[in-house]
Amino acid sequence: MTSLLEMRGIEKRFGGVQALKGVDFDLRAGEAHVLLGENGAGKSTLMNILSGSIGPDAGDIRLFGKPVRFSSPAEAHAAGIAMIPQELDLVPGLDITANLFLGNEERTAWGTLAHRRMRRAASDLLRKAGVSLDAGRPVSSLRMGERQLVAIAKALSADARILVMDEPTAALSATECEHLFGTVRELCARGVGVIYISHRLEEVPRVADRVTVMRDGCVAGEAAADAPQAELVRLLVGRSFEDLFPPRAGRIGRELLRLEHARFDPAIERAGWQAARDVSLTVHEGEIVGLAGLMGVGRTELLSALYGFEVEGRWSGTVLVDGRPARLGSIAAARRAGIAYVTDDRRGTGLVLNHTVGENVVLSTLRRITPWALVSPGKERRYVTEALSRFDVRPKLPEALVINLSGGNQQKVVFAKELVSEPHLLLLDEPTRGVDVGAKAEIYGQLRSLTAKGLGVLVASSELPELIGLCDRIVVMSRGRTVAEFAAGASEEEIRHASTIGTEAA
Amino acid sequence: MTAEPTNPPVQKAAAATRPRLRPLDYVVRFQSLLGLILVIVGGVAFSPRRHGHILFLQPDNIANIVRSISETGILALGMTFVIIAAGIDLSVGAVLGLSSVLTAALLINAGWGLWTTLPLVLVCATLFGLAQGAISTRLHVQAFIVTLAGLQAARGLALIASGNEFININYGSGPGNAPPAFAVLGERLFYDTFPVATLVFVVLAVMATFVLNHTRYGRYVFAVGGNERAARLSGIPVEWIKISVYGLTGLCSGVAGIVHAGQFAFGSPTDGTGYELNAIAAVVIGGTDLFGGAGTMIGTIAGAVMLGALANVLQLNDVSAAMQLLATGAIIVAAAALQTYVGRRDGRSR
Repeated sequence: MTSLLEMRGIEKRFGGVQALKGVDFDLRAGEAHVLLGENGAGKSTLMNILSGSIGPDAGDIRLFGKPVRFSSPAEAHAAGIAMIPQELDLVPGLDITANLFLGNEERTAWGTLAHRRMRRAASDLLRKAGVSLDAGRPVSSLRMGERQLVAIAKALSADARILVMDEPTAALSATECEHLFGTVRELCARGVGVIYISHRLEEVPRVADRVTVMRDGCVAGEAAADAPQAELVRLLVGRSFEDLFPPRAGRIGRELLRLEHARFDPAIERAGWQAARDVSLTVHEGEIVGLAGLMGVGRTELLSALYGFEVEGRWSGTVLVDGRPARLGSIAAARRAGIAYVTDDRRGTGLVLNHTVGENVVLSTLRRITPWALVSPGKERRYVTEALSRFDVRPKLPEALVINLSGGNQQKVVFAKELVSEPHLLLLDEPTRGVDVGAKAEIYGQLRSLTAKGLGVLVASSELPELIGLCDRIVVMSRGRTVAEFAAGASEEEIRHASTIGTEAA
Repeated sequence: MTAEPTNPPVQKAAAATRPRLRPLDYVVRFQSLLGLILVIVGGVAFSPRRHGHILFLQPDNIANIVRSISETGILALGMTFVIIAAGIDLSVGAVLGLSSVLTAALLINAGWGLWTTLPLVLVCATLFGLAQGAISTRLHVQAFIVTLAGLQAARGLALIASGNEFININYGSGPGNAPPAFAVLGERLFYDTFPVATLVFVVLAVMATFVLNHTRYGRYVFAVGGNERAARLSGIPVEWIKISVYGLTGLCSGVAGIVHAGQFAFGSPTDGTGYELNAIAAVVIGGTDLFGGAGTMIGTIAGAVMLGALANVLQLNDVSAAMQLLATGAIIVAAAALQTYVGRRDGRSR
């Protein structure tokens, strides 16, 4: 295979921080090359240098064997390097055609827009990118995965030879991911080189031919895409996968939650919302129970219905909290019952991003430190500082803006906010999404030490290795029903099997 | 973050989150105060002089300024709560008009006393605001639309209450006259220097600042405006907060309407037209974020005073009303642009 791109000895310094310390990277034609690394490892800096957004301090870039140096993104784009940013640059209100031609609109002899000509060309572009979508659909009607595909078509419209994708699956469902991977493979088959930035280990073998792992501004190693995950983790963080998970405590207390053939009927049936139809499970003190299952089987919906968050409706069947029948379905009822909820969307529902760490931490328990409805700054500060130390949020500054924190530390702020109220039962959805491996390990450790003090946890995750490493028991869901339960030590294959069997049966 | 604190990325993150204010941040944070100082300095510099006295600084002139801002200032206090909660209230000017008419109608036409009239007017104005908040929140209609409709409705109610007439407030005893005590709103205290209307504004401003900064309610208003879903998830009574801030604007409009009636000794159903825009302008110049979640009461107060002082400076120099409007517009744009510039520079999403 011919070499499309070679980067040698790239260095970049920002102020006092050496962001890149002599990085080598290369890309062959027809190859999908994953660039793997935690937040702050230097992936984005390297790609920003490639796409001309910033200049390197040292090092050479060769494109098709010829040395190049881009001083602007436009130059890099003209040279055949297309970049798809994480936040897609599509206009939701316009249709696909208008988006593909945005800024390069074609006109008729009268000076009006050549709608028909552009529509035809757009359909061609979509077909070439392997996308089967009607070019006349408004982008706002597309799902995230489809938008991602349109962004790819748009990037390829300029005859790009190199396509850089920055964490494209961050907002996609499992099926959408598969579709995207298929498109990437088709592009490669046509000779396009794809650089795929990611920090999700599990997607490496599904999309890549080769993987380069970055750590602390250096290349930590290169591996074939089918290298075992454990090896990639070692390269990423410098320690092994099993070490991420703390040992199980094993002291199980009284029963906190029992659902027996419980069913939730939402007041308004929403499309794509999988209500709980027949759920049986228990959570005890000191126990972490996992909710496994394919995407869209109702894990998230079960948690939000238990907490009564943004869904109205009625539970039927047996719902026992602390052994007593409980009427769940509203946030007030859930909180009275000692239930806390951390969603899978910390930016959308977990945090007030423009506010400080301190203001966020006290959000759910302000009532407690404001006895006369008055805020006392000194009391609040002591309360927040203590919570920040307990949950090891870094930096430990109550007045820092939450938006400036790393994903892992933002997640810890959400934990602090929900757990200072000392709930008995924590509902947890995708607790480590978008969090780097190091912070994952810390979050697992914190969950364990909390359960050692009696907290019960019901955690939903789409990452099976995480559930297996973390949980005492795993309940498998399928189409709103619980279909199987496994004790700790079950294998990934067994659980995967159980989740697909349930799908076929239903 | 995994490694020991000596790890470069950790240091970088720490440095990036430590609040370090650059000069421009101070300008933005105190932009309305700085603007106010600029206007005052400019006012002194450009003020016409007579017999060696600077007219701008004459006690009479200053009293005029602070009196002229008291009504929009009171409206802006409530508006600050609404805008921080990510709402907007376009009805405040109309509710001011309605309240002034109601006050005059009850005092003169119905012959009620002050102790029954004033509380009733305040309750009506508050209920009007709460109703708008409830409609907007419960029916999920944008506040812009609901309060635009509220503006029309309040004008209509004012026409009904006044019988489509201007009601003069005469003081005296007997039917058809208002209690003379009500005239105090048009007077000045402390040897005829400090307008009573301004005193009302100052008292309310202190109360509003306290509620916003030092009570749980104030904190909830910030949280709801900053991220409604996160606030709801945290168990905050989001609906009630969103409804209640419109009660506050209603209450403020009621107070301002009474002050208006007292100052001018009449009730007119069309008075207060356009006041909502001045109130919003004061809030925006004061640095409150129209997207919600951020703002200060002191900024709003300074913004209101600044607008009043600016109008006064221009009037003293015989600048036309048209130019005054243009200048106000330019200042609003400048204040908003400065904030979004700093927001963009800090990478806050918009």
